[in-house]
Amino acid sequence: MSTPKDFTTGVGSDVRTSQRRVLFITRRTSAMVKRTDEEQVQTYPAALVRAALAFELLTIGLVLMSLFFNAPLEGIADPTNTPNPAKAPWYFLGLQEMLHYFPPVVAGVMIPAVLVAGLIVIPYFNVNIEADGMFVKDRARRLRIFYLAAPLLSVFLLYFDVYVALVPTLLVAGFMLLAAHSGPGSASSLRRYLASRAVSWWIMTWFLVELIVLTVVGTFFRGPGWSWVWPWRS
Amino acid sequence: MASRLDNTIARIEQTRLWRSIFRSGTGNSTLHRAMAIQQNIFLHILPTKVRRRMLDLSATWYLGTLTLGTFVLLVVTGILLMLYYHPSVPQAYTDVTDLRFVVSSGLFLRNLHRWSAHAMVLLAFAHLFRVFYRGAYRPPREFNWVIGVVLLLITLLLSYTGYLLPWDQLAFWAITVGSNISSAVPLMGDKVRFLLLGGHQVNANALLRFYVLHTVILPLSAVFFIAIHFWRIRKDGGLYVRQSDPLRKSAAQGEAAEESVAAGAGKEEA
Amino acid sequence: MRSIISKLVGSVRSLLADPVRMFGLVSVVLVLLLAVAPAKDHFSEWHHYQQQYRRLIAKRSDAATLQRHFVGGVRQVWLPQVGVVDRCESCHSGLTEASLTDVPQPFRTHPPIPHGLDEFGCVICHRGQGAATTVAEAHDSKLAHQEPILPARFVESSCGQCHHAALMGTPKLNRGREMLARYGCVRCHTVKLPDGSTMTATDDPPPLTHIADKTSREWIYAWLKDPKSYAGSATMPNFHLSDDDARDISAFLIAASTPQPEDTATLPAAALKAAADPSGGASLYGESFCASCHAMQNAAGDLTGGNVGPELTRIGTKVKPEWLVGWLRDPRHYDEKTQMPRYRWTDQQVALLAGFLENKTDSDLLSNVQLAPATAAQIKHGRSLVIEYGCAACHEIPGIKRPENFAPELSRVGSKPLEQIVFADDVPHTLPDYLAGKLREPRAFGPGLRMPDYGFSHTQLEALTTALLSLTDRSFTLPQSLQVATTAASSYVPAGHAGKLMMEMNCQACHRINGRGGDMAPDLSWEGSSVQRAWLDDFLKNPNTLRPALIRRMPRFNMTDAERAELTDYIMTVYQSPVLDRDTPLTSSPELIDKGRQLFYSKYACQSCHIVDAQRDKGYIGPPLTQVGSRLTAVWIEHWLQNPQALRPGTLEPNQKIPEDEAQALTAFLMAQRGGRATGTSKQEAKR
Repeated sequence: MSTPKDFTTGVGSDVRTSQRRVLFITRRTSAMVKRTDEEQVQTYPAALVRAALAFELLTIGLVLMSLFFNAPLEGIADPTNTPNPAKAPWYFLGLQEMLHYFPPVVAGVMIPAVLVAGLIVIPYFNVNIEADGMFVKDRARRLRIFYLAAPLLSVFLLYFDVYVALVPTLLVAGFMLLAAHSGPGSASSLRRYLASRAVSWWIMTWFLVELIVLTVVGTFFRGPGWSWVWPWRS
Repeated sequence: MASRLDNTIARIEQTRLWRSIFRSGTGNSTLHRAMAIQQNIFLHILPTKVRRRMLDLSATWYLGTLTLGTFVLLVVTGILLMLYYHPSVPQAYTDVTDLRFVVSSGLFLRNLHRWSAHAMVLLAFAHLFRVFYRGAYRPPREFNWVIGVVLLLITLLLSYTGYLLPWDQLAFWAITVGSNISSAVPLMGDKVRFLLLGGHQVNANALLRFYVLHTVILPLSAVFFIAIHFWRIRKDGGLYVRQSDPLRKSAAQGEAAEESVAAGAGKEEA
Repeated sequence: MRSIISKLVGSVRSLLADPVRMFGLVSVVLVLLLAVAPAKDHFSEWHHYQQQYRRLIAKRSDAATLQRHFVGGVRQVWLPQVGVVDRCESCHSGLTEASLTDVPQPFRTHPPIPHGLDEFGCVICHRGQGAATTVAEAHDSKLAHQEPILPARFVESSCGQCHHAALMGTPKLNRGREMLARYGCVRCHTVKLPDGSTMTATDDPPPLTHIADKTSREWIYAWLKDPKSYAGSATMPNFHLSDDDARDISAFLIAASTPQPEDTATLPAAALKAAADPSGGASLYGESFCASCHAMQNAAGDLTGGNVGPELTRIGTKVKPEWLVGWLRDPRHYDEKTQMPRYRWTDQQVALLAGFLENKTDSDLLSNVQLAPATAAQIKHGRSLVIEYGCAACHEIPGIKRPENFAPELSRVGSKPLEQIVFADDVPHTLPDYLAGKLREPRAFGPGLRMPDYGFSHTQLEALTTALLSLTDRSFTLPQSLQVATTAASSYVPAGHAGKLMMEMNCQACHRINGRGGDMAPDLSWEGSSVQRAWLDDFLKNPNTLRPALIRRMPRFNMTDAERAELTDYIMTVYQSPVLDRDTPLTSSPELIDKGRQLFYSKYACQSCHIVDAQRDKGYIGPPLTQVGSRLTAVWIEHWLQNPQALRPGTLEPNQKIPEDEAQALTAFLMAQRGGRATGTSKQEAKR
């Protein structure tokens, strides 16, 4: 704290038996109350009964599904008879799709490792904490980075023929471009919305779109020899 | 009739045995309700009070609750399935066909387990993205976000190890494809794969190993991290509220609704 | 009214608005829903069928018995040692009830078969998923290792999983297996059997080493284009070659051919003169019983004769005269491994026969074939085609090695998973349909396929498909103790000088001796114990058949007296049964003969198949016995009567389990039948 002291502190005599809230007021802040503590309810029963309700509705949904759709079961495992294509569980099909383009070290090890590490460190970087629009603060430098990174990534994907990942990338980059040239004063609400999105929002959205597109492609659009098939034409 | 039932219940609740089990006693006071949470080993990791607007569907979509729900369903159905299943080759497969064709409700049980597993993976992903887009990972909740990522990985591993257990073609080749990827790890890829499968290929050893992972190691780890996850919600100040989230109801209306909940929960309705 | 509705709506709304009430409501729904699963179990398919079955048997006269036999619930045959868990009986409740022959499926009784239901279950023969308790899963499952139900017309194939020798009850399977060997399928496709052996071909594709000496390039061209146009009975398949390809292959074969070691084809002029007599040639063709092995179209266009050797209808168009003469003199000179025996004809006879055959021509066959002299490029291309089509898998061709594993192995083709099969457009997606379709149109399943077209008939296709379907994974995984193997292939070759003689006449082409040889004529392994020396000597001199009605007869080989004596000695000495002593004296007395006669005519009614008294008896199924007393040995007859199959497996003679004393009497009676040369009479009888 800075000197000279411009505040005093003190505690009541009953501090040992009942908790007190201590408020520090520095020179740059005022003692104005912005927001009153909001209304709270007891967890029991208000929250618990809703949780139980949610659980029951979930169970009903899954029971209905189990009554009408049978879990898949194929012939007994036969190491001598490879089905074509041999597919991983659906949530790994995005990775398997990547495996089709990149060497196993990249697609099977590096990409998942980077993803997990990336997810874990999200809350530890200030760039992810800020809530301002991506191109609001430090605009010139960020625009430079964007104009460099987006084409580089696209060319990289194009070079390896990863059209499946390239299309969503271009889509997201297009929206980012739109956001870069919008602001709070833009006419359309979409542009105002895009302009206010933070950098972490853009990266996560790109990841989400890629994840969905790759998984859907891997699940429905891949046939023998991992060739492209149209699911409605078989 | 109803009053006599009420009296009986009240008398049971006064007995020494009852009091020794449910220490909080009954009552509709805030104190009693707080104690119902605090004094219960399973509930005490929850806060005794929650913000009113966090109960709205739009705030969380209940995705975390539902993910826990699928986990509970999976534990229950999984334990029942364990009664019929031998992790050996080729008996594993015939056990599954027997479940399907002759065990009473065996088909239903397996279906429920399978679909719940898929639902859990889906819900865990949805929960992750929902938390992210609400910004709920921001300090002081950053560590709970990390726990959440760990739980997502455990969920994927649970699903993946369970995938092998029916020992059908789908299982065998999915695991073969998956485990081949692990051999791409630089320097120790083959070692990792050997450790995972208990051999150089997917065989009876791998089945046993996956079974133990699926039924013991991974569920216990999941329970451990789920406990921390919930505990941290409370310790990090409850569910995250965005300042921009509207206070939907006026204080007075909120109070009224709260009263009706209390009445409903506290007493048998005639 | 309206107030009631609004009250109702209001109460529903309040129910939904209040989380606690909603919780109660949803809980009730959940509990009800959880009760559906056991209810669904209760209304399962098998339950439904069992109720139907009980209603069905209640109306029958033997209801009490059937009801006593009926046991409800999921029924299963569980045989861990053969990997069977078959729950078919849960719906097929009447499988073992002999009386349920007139009821609809799934309740009909199983037709009688040699194996019990509790021995092998259902799936080993019928396929399908035995563990399943629903019709769709049990019958139509197409998962790996769980094939759909096998159509009944192919069910014989399942017997072939354990029985590797021909069975009485499986004509289709036997025929299919025979075809696999006879059409040379197994020359390109390896077929390994569970006992570790490999199927071998029984066809006799000629070597093409000296083909230029034998025939013309034009004939080769016509033959390659369509073998059936030369001989309808050709086993050579049609490769659907283009004109250019046939031209180039013929060019290569002629170019690669080497001349025979020496030319033996010159005949004395005097002998050649006789060749002008066509009727003499025809009668020699008949006397030599060429038709036992070779077929020829008669005037009516019908093919008559055997199928051991090639059809001779248009032989004059095919072979060169000088080659034919050399071949008739000594076939081994051209082809060491041929089945054709050396007949020891005189030069004159050779000329006669050659003249007769040379006239068997078809002027249309080669009339349109005009080939320019071959160029080096054509020959080179022809060689690459010969390699591409694997001609050397069957034929010996100079300069080309026999290809190994030329075509896909078929050892387990009967279990081929459907997902590994690429189906043609109009073929139903089942394994039998795939196999039959592939055999019918081998190249319809994709471009670049080389398998030739055999032009199989519908029955042939079914037989072959049945044989292929018997080659399953299961036949390898079933316990070895269940395998009923073929008798191990014998490589017996008679030894010594007499043996050489026998090889020259190729006795084993027709007679089986010690496990090797054809099945056209009697097994000679124990001939020395069976017949008397004098009869054998006489027979070899003039082999009049015992059964004049047969087309196939033993030809006369024109042996010298010394050769004949040597052969007779050899047979009498070497081919003896270890359990029979042919010098055992005959017990005979007039009473015994009389008793034997009675047994012959009344108790055993042997005259229905055999003839003892040429005037009275009319049995033609077995050989005539008018002179059996001078043909067979007593000990042979006695043993034969007691158990014919022990001496000659597969003989038609029924085993009547004649006791020893009766067999003795019958033997005494039969040994007394030494009637003069009765064949003349029986020939007349046959004509009548």
